[in-house]
Order: sequence, then structure tokens, then C-alpha cells
Amino acid sequence: MDDAWLLPAIPVAAFVILLLTSQYLPRRGDWVAIIGMAAAFAIVFPIGKDVADAIGAGEFHGSARSWQWLEIPGYIEIRMGTFVDQITLVMLFCVTLVALLVMIYSTGYMHGDRRYGWFYAVISLFVASMLGLVLADNLLLLYFSWELVGLCSMLLIGYYNDRQSAAEAAKKAFVTTRIGDVGLLIGIIILFTQTGTFNIGEILHAAEAGDIQREWLTAAAVCVLAGAVGKSAQFPLHVWLPDAMEGPTPVSALIHAATMVVAGVYLVARMLPLFEVVRGMPELITALGLTTTMLAAFMGLAQRDIKRVVAYSTLNSLGLMFVALGSGAVGAAMLYLFAHAFFKALLFLASGSVIHATEEQEVDKLGGLWGKLPLTAPAFVIGALAMAGLVPLSGFWAKDEILVGVDHGHLTPIVLWTLIVSLPITALYMTRVVMLTFFGEPKDHHVHEHAHESAPVMTMPLLLLAVLAVVSGFVVFEGVGEALGFHSGWLGFIFNEAEGPHHFEVQWGLTILSVVLVVAGIVGGVWFWGGRAEPARRAGAFSPFFYRMFLNRFYFDEVYQFAIDKVVLAAGRVVAVFDRVVVNDTGVNGPGEATDFAASLGKRQQTGLLPNYALAIVVGIVVIAAVAFGYRG
Amino acid sequence: MESGYWLIATVAIPLIAGGVMVLIPDERKDVVRWVSAAVGAVLFAISTYVFFMYEVGGDQYQFFIRWAWLEDVGFLGENGISLAFGIDGIAAPMVLLTGVVAFGGALISWKIEHHNKDFFALFWVLVSGVYGTFTALDLFFFFFWYEVAVLPMYLLIAVWGSSSVFPTFARTKEYSAMKLTIMLVSASILIFIGIFAVFHEAGAGTFDLQTLYAYQFDPRFQKIVFPLFVIGCGVLAGLWPFHTWSPDGHVSAPTAVSMLHAGVLMKLGAFGIIRLGIQLLPEGATFWMPGLMILATANVVYGAFAATAQRDFKYMIGYSSVSHMGLVLMGLATMNVIGVNGAVLQMFSHGVMTAMFFAMVGSVYDQAHTRDMTLFSGLVHRMPLFVFFFGIAGLASLGLPGLSGFIAEFHVFGGAFRTYPWAGALGIFAAAMTAVYILRMMSMSFFGQFNEQWSGLQEMTLLERGTAALLLGFMLFMGLWPAPFIDRIQESVRNLPGVS
Repeated sequence: MDDAWLLPAIPVAAFVILLLTSQYLPRRGDWVAIIGMAAAFAIVFPIGKDVADAIGAGEFHGSARSWQWLEIPGYIEIRMGTFVDQITLVMLFCVTLVALLVMIYSTGYMHGDRRYGWFYAVISLFVASMLGLVLADNLLLLYFSWELVGLCSMLLIGYYNDRQSAAEAAKKAFVTTRIGDVGLLIGIIILFTQTGTFNIGEILHAAEAGDIQREWLTAAAVCVLAGAVGKSAQFPLHVWLPDAMEGPTPVSALIHAATMVVAGVYLVARMLPLFEVVRGMPELITALGLTTTMLAAFMGLAQRDIKRVVAYSTLNSLGLMFVALGSGAVGAAMLYLFAHAFFKALLFLASGSVIHATEEQEVDKLGGLWGKLPLTAPAFVIGALAMAGLVPLSGFWAKDEILVGVDHGHLTPIVLWTLIVSLPITALYMTRVVMLTFFGEPKDHHVHEHAHESAPVMTMPLLLLAVLAVVSGFVVFEGVGEALGFHSGWLGFIFNEAEGPHHFEVQWGLTILSVVLVVAGIVGGVWFWGGRAEPARRAGAFSPFFYRMFLNRFYFDEVYQFAIDKVVLAAGRVVAVFDRVVVNDTGVNGPGEATDFAASLGKRQQTGLLPNYALAIVVGIVVIAAVAFGYRG
Repeated sequence: MESGYWLIATVAIPLIAGGVMVLIPDERKDVVRWVSAAVGAVLFAISTYVFFMYEVGGDQYQFFIRWAWLEDVGFLGENGISLAFGIDGIAAPMVLLTGVVAFGGALISWKIEHHNKDFFALFWVLVSGVYGTFTALDLFFFFFWYEVAVLPMYLLIAVWGSSSVFPTFARTKEYSAMKLTIMLVSASILIFIGIFAVFHEAGAGTFDLQTLYAYQFDPRFQKIVFPLFVIGCGVLAGLWPFHTWSPDGHVSAPTAVSMLHAGVLMKLGAFGIIRLGIQLLPEGATFWMPGLMILATANVVYGAFAATAQRDFKYMIGYSSVSHMGLVLMGLATMNVIGVNGAVLQMFSHGVMTAMFFAMVGSVYDQAHTRDMTLFSGLVHRMPLFVFFFGIAGLASLGLPGLSGFIAEFHVFGGAFRTYPWAGALGIFAAAMTAVYILRMMSMSFFGQFNEQWSGLQEMTLLERGTAALLLGFMLFMGLWPAPFIDRIQESVRNLPGVS
């Protein structure tokens, strides 16, 4: 475990090599990035084994190692270090595996792109930052990586740099998440001011022991949560994620589905002890997650772009994870995160394969591709069903665990019922996109005829992810967990320290209800969109008002755009004009002109005419004489 | 104990170089360039040497040397006025900064054709003044070098600068040069008064700073005189509402002068607040710092908002400098170790970052003869390296971790939160605004469809690349491994009276 620092170090090295030399390397050096990633992935296993051994040996509270980075003796000491525990391990596994698959897939998808080397360089930097983020033992290093992750995300969203829309989307993503990051930084500084340390463990300890003033603790918790909300695209900062689809599809799969967007979930999971001691905080987290889930489910119903539908499903999933965290079900949230990483990466890569095959991403123009794409289509369907939560795919187990966790939580039953209501809607829109893309009659025959299955470098990762999407849920069973080397199964493994042994449990009532609802959603979707009529229009006619609301994403973007244009930038213009007119023209030129005016009065006296001067001399003498004599009395 | 002759060399070499320039025949522009590049390289080398040889844990003032100039005459006693040089941990990074930016500026000015020997003569006199101010340990000569650094600016802007014309307003370079000079010189009158008040009050017949530091001034006196120093130096540091010379001045100045002015000269102001204000009059500082904090916060927020509305690259950078110098002042106003540390870090960080900005703008302005960002589009397709370096400077300015800006801002905010949480929060908010105006500019000018109107633009020249790489190296150095800076700075900051 002590070698965990190697994990981010390897991709950083790949980044530097690629940045400096990629144009001279064969294949632009994609193999450097891939080999580095494979090495990182390989290192996860010995680390996992160490953790499992440590747990087996008894008490395990994570393993830390750190180096001093800077110090002002007596005031501030910052150590950079790694911390490995079970949550970290889940993240490490997901990140390295998905990144490796995405890199292999990209050799096909990005083939021949003019910035191919840059793509691999930035992806490597991204993975390094992401690994740094999950390994960080202190909040400063976490913030460090957090921002670099955001930077890479921005660079990759804006990858197609000749499109203005990509530049706008990149800007939007960066600025929106940065609003949250302002909160995170303020939160970190408050925690530092209060505790004198950045170390996460020590801060959590201080929070639980009540060493932090209540007001400051509340402020810090809200601020840190803001950071998580921004990065994980929760309401009200969710607007950037759908637009992030401007980036290349593999990027969406890696960053905007499987890894970066769950950084917020990870942060909340990591800091949960701090949130739990603040009154109202769990409720706030749940409320945000629930709102996000519902909004995303409705918006997903009306989107026309295949990637956007998947993007909304990501929002939907992230909301679910937040709800689980708010209810204190860390194990369930991490299980969902684990399963989600695979099925969501699968959905994105499969939709990428569809786009690659057809060069079209509007579902209105696709259709009937099932036979044309013999590997991609089943893969996408598996991903969609896992997302919908159909038994026995991985999404089912994870979602079921969340429902049980929420049921066990101390929150109002409204939360549970709202979640249950969202299930059939999720199933409905996932079915919709499947039906419109792969079944029914082709809407655009030209596109249909040109469609061809992608190359094996692209389909093989799909198949592997499809298998994982099917089986990864089975880790909930103790037997499977033990077989994989996790003591007392997955949940026991994750929960070893926090809550004692925790076992997978099934509440038959909930489970049956959720399965019935999901199946109902799927059947409804097949029935509604499976036919020959023009489906999107039919759905629109069903309720034009709601359809418009969903399609336009409840007008959040418009409202925010208005706020930026009419408030922030307008304030900027007011300040700029103030600076020129008041500060400069009045404050600076004013005294200048006043001097000028005074001088123009004064210079009138200098007429240059001798009689005037003579007169002045005489008047002067008379006045002085009069004063002098008058003074003498 | 390292020899003080190194410091004298940093002052004397550019001064002599300025003289040598005058002797070079007017038509030998190449000789001027090579001599200047060599002088820059030598200064850079000496500055680096001085920075790294500064011994952490050593004497308070190192590289110390004193040449008597006037003593025991008239009202002057022992060490009345002496050429005393020495640096502490705060001056050491400033010396390094000056070396970096002066070298970069000399390389960037390679392209200057118009009377380049006169340009370089003034340029090197200015650099000499900057070094003198950072290293002077004598009140009289502090002021002397300070003025030497400020005055060449008038000619540099008025002769080699550029005017800007916009639909709504116009600024001629003569106007900007005049405004800058008058404002800075009026401000130095305040400093001048303050210096004589201090000299008279101490009554020791000496301008020697170390002697004066040992003197306990009457608290009432301190409270009266401190504002003279803080406003007098603050004007040069871009203190709101006296910042107004700076955007216009930077916009009108030629590239190298903008680099040096925004990069180094503005730091003289902040440095003066430390050397004259905090060190001489600690109780005055403690009394007045809440006021400075309010103005500094205004700086930070006001500059950030004003920058979002600019169309000219240089105006945007100019206002962002106002905002970032506000962070320096904010750090000083905290009067605690972390905050003042942050202020000094930010002085260095802003110096290299803003020099990079101006160097980049120069590289496109020299070819396009316009700096209106709305006219450009998709520059990345034509000048990818230019966009890369400009982008890095932008990222440093919006506080991306890994680059110098973050480490500095983080200390400033950490310090501010200890004493004035509201100011810290507003500062972080304004730092986030930086992302808005930087990304707005980049998405407007650098990305999107390439505008064919600019197909004649060339990628940065080799010299520009070298300069950018040099500056980038220091941004990364400080961002990734800040310990060498902090070790030096914190030691001296802890010794500052009144800073807790």
C-alpha cells in the first residue's frame, strides 16, 4: 500500500512524455499512455491484496503515507500523502479499468484525428489527477487534483477546438463547476483555520469530537458540499453535464460518466462523518439528490440526441448516489458507483460506436440498427437494461441496495416513494432510446445503409464492459465476495470499519415492487415507441407543455444565461464605465483641469504690458505703506 | 557570509549598461541587442545565485555591504547616508523576480527597431532602480532608487508605446505616460514627507534603516505617518482608488515595459509598504490595516469585474493586475504570518504570470497591430504554442493548482480567513471571476472557426518561446515546489514587528 503514490505518478510521466515528444513517436505515442495505464491498473491488485490482508488481520483504518511539502513552523504544515482504504480501492479499480478500456477503444474511435497525441496526453493527465484525488490524504492535495481534473475535463470537452459550441461548452463546464469549487476552497480554508490541519482523518476526528465551532462547522459543511454538487452535477449546478457531450464520446464515457462526475460522490462519502454531525446536512444532501434524479428522469424523456439521453441518465444515477449518501448508506452508494462505472461507460462507448458507425447522433434519424450492428446493439441494450435496473443485471442490485438503505435511514418516507416513482420513468426513457435507435423502421435510409459495425478495438472493450455490467452486481453476495478475496463479501468489506458487519439483504416487498415498476416502464416504452409512426412527435403531442419543458430542460440554462449576461457581465460593464468616467475622467482629469483653470486665471495677470506692472507696483507700495502705518497706530 | 558585491553588481551592471548603450553607434542595432541580451543573462544568473545562496536560518540581512557616502556633516551623524545593501527573505525572491523579468524583457525587445539603443538605455536604468530599491537598506537611497525606477517610464511609454482608440473612448500614449508619471510622482511626495518625518522624529541623524528599525516611534506619530507610506507606496501597488494609472499605463507601454512594470515595478509599492510601513511603524500598521483591508478587497473585486467588460487584451490584463495586486495588499493587511507570506508569494507569482501575459499579447500585437479580442477567432489553429502559453498564464491567474498563483492565493486567503473571513470569502469569489474573464477571452479569440483575416499571423518567434518557457518554468517551480520560496519568506515575515 505504501507504493500507492506510483498510481498517479505513472500517468503523469506518460503525460509529460506525450506532451514533449508525441509528434516524434510512432502512432503519436498512444501506446505510452496505454502501457502506463495498464501498469497502473496492475498495481491496483497488490494494493487490494494488502488491504484485504490488513482487514483479515484485524482492525484496519486505512493506510497513510506522506511527505512534507511546505512548512511555516508553528503556523502551517502541509504534507502531501496517500491514504488507502476500502472506498479508495473501489475508486482505484473503477478508474484504472475504465480508463484502460477507454484508451484502447479510442485508438479506433479517434483514429486519424489531427490532435491524437494531445488527446492521449490529456487523458493521461486526467487519470493521474483522478487517482491523486482519490488517494489524497489531505484536503489540499484533494483540491489540487480536483482542479486539475476540472481542467482536463475542460480541455477534453473543448477538444474539437474549431467548433464554437465546444469552446462554449468547455467554458460552461469549467465556470459552473468552479462556482462549486469556490465553495470547496472556502470550506477547506475554514476547516484549516479551525483545526490547523488539512489531513482528512484529523479533520473528521475533530468534527466528531466537537472541536470545531458549530457555526463554522456548518458553514464548512455547506461549502464543501457545494464543491461536490458542482463536480457531480447535482441540482442546481447540473447544467454543465449535458453540454459536456460536445467532447469526444470516449471522453464522455471516462470523465462524464464513470470517473470525474463521481468525484463529488466520493468526496461526500469520504467526508460523511463531518456532514452527519451537522444538523440538516443529510437532509440537504438527500433533497439535492432527489431533485436531480427527478429532473433528470423527466428531461431524459424528451431528448433527441442519443448521447444526451445517456448524459441525463448519468444525472439520474448521480442523484441516486447522493440520496443514498444522505441516508447514510455509504456501502450502497459505493456499490452503485462501482456498477455504474461499468454500465455507464458501456452505454457511452456503445453510443459512440453507433455514432462512429452512422455519423449521426439524433435518435430521430436512426432506427433499425439491431441487425446492422451485431455487437454494439446488444451491448447498448444490456447497458440500458442495467441502467433501468432490470433483474439480474448489476444496476438492479445496486439500486435495490439504495432502496433498502433509504428505507433504513431516518428520513421521511416521501424520499423512498419519490425514488420508487422515478424508477419506471428511468426504464421508460432508456427503453425509448433503445427502441428509437435499434428497432423500428429506419428513419433515414441513407444513414441506415451506410452503417457498419466498428472495428474490434472498439467492440472488444464494449463486450468486456457488457460482461461487467451483467455480473458486477453479484459482488453483493458474500460467496462471490469471498471468492474474489474480500472478507465477508463486498458490503462487509466496505463497511469493515464504520458500521460493523453489514450484510446484503433483500426486502422482498420493495424488490418485487421495483421489479414490477421497471418492467412496466420497459413494456410501456416498447409499446409506445416500438411502432412505425413518427414517435418523437407522438410523444410531443401527448402533452405539449410538459414536452417543451422537458426538451428545454426546465429552462435552467436560459435563467442562468440571463443571470450571467444581465447581472454579472452587466455589473462588469458598469464598473468599467465607472472606472473610466468617474475615477479617471473626474478623479484624474478633474484636478488637472482645475489646475488648468486656476492657471488660466493666474496667467491673466501676466499681461506683459509695462504700465500694468507699474500700476501693480504702485498699488502694492501704497497698500504695504498703509498697512505698516496703520499697524504702528 | 556571502559578499555584498553581488548586490552592488545587480545595481551597477544595468546602470553601466545604460551608459554603454549611449556609446554604441545608432545604426548598430544588432550590437545593442546582443549587449542587452548578455546583460539580461548576467543579471538573471546573479539573481538566481543570490536567491539560492541566501542562507535559510542565517542572518536577518544577508549579502550586506555598506559604503559610507555622507556622515558626520551638518545634521547627519554616524552612517548618515550610506550606500547600504542587503536582502532579507522577502527581498530575495524579489531579486530573483527582477532577474527573470528583466532577462525576459530584454529578449522580447529584440524586435524593437525604433532607436533601440535609447530604449535599452532607459530600460536598463529602470532595472537598476528596481534592483536598488529591493536591496537598499538606507532610507535615502531607497527613495533614490525608487524614483530612478519610476521616471524612465515616462519616456519609454511616450516614445515607444502605442495609443488605443475605441468607439467610446481613446487613450493616447502621451496621455497615459503623463498620467502615470504625475500620479506616481505625487505619491512619492507623500513618501518623501514620511521619510523626513521619520528621520526627524528618530533624531539619530541617520537614514540607516537598521538603526531606524531599532527605534521605538511614538504610537501617535506612527498613526499619523503610516498613511503617508501606505498611500504613497500603495499608488504604485495599484491601490484602489489610485489604481487608475495602471491599466492605461500598461496598455500604452511597449511589451517589455509592460512586463517590467506590471511584473516588477508594482511590487516595489507593496515592498515599500513592508519596508517603510510595517517595519518602521508597526503600531501604525496595526492601527490602519483594517482600512487597507477594505481598500484591498475593493481592489480585488473591482478589478475582477472591470476585467470582464474589456475588449482589449491588455486592458483585461491591466484590470486583472489591479485585482491580483489587491490580493497582495489583502495579504499584507492581514498582519498575520500566513497572510503576509501569501502577499510576498503573490508578488512573485503575479510578477512572472503577468510578464507572461504581456509577452504573449506583444507577440500577437506586433503582427496584427490590434489587441481587440472581438476581432480574433480561432487563433489556436494558427498559433497553437501562443495559445498554449497564454492559456497557462490564464490558468495561473485563475489560481489553478500546480501553478504559482494557487499557492500564493491560498496563503492570502488562509491568512485573511483568520482575521477577516468576509474579505477572504470575497477574495475567493473574485478569484473565481478570473475564470469568467479569462475563459471568455479564450473562447472568443482562441477557439472556434479560424478567421481567415489573420492567416498572415506567424507562430511565436524563438526568442518569445524562450522567454515564455523561462517564465513558465518559474510558475511551475513555485506551483509544484514552493518550499524554497516559503522557507526564505517565512523567516523574515516572522521577524516583522506587529505580524503575529
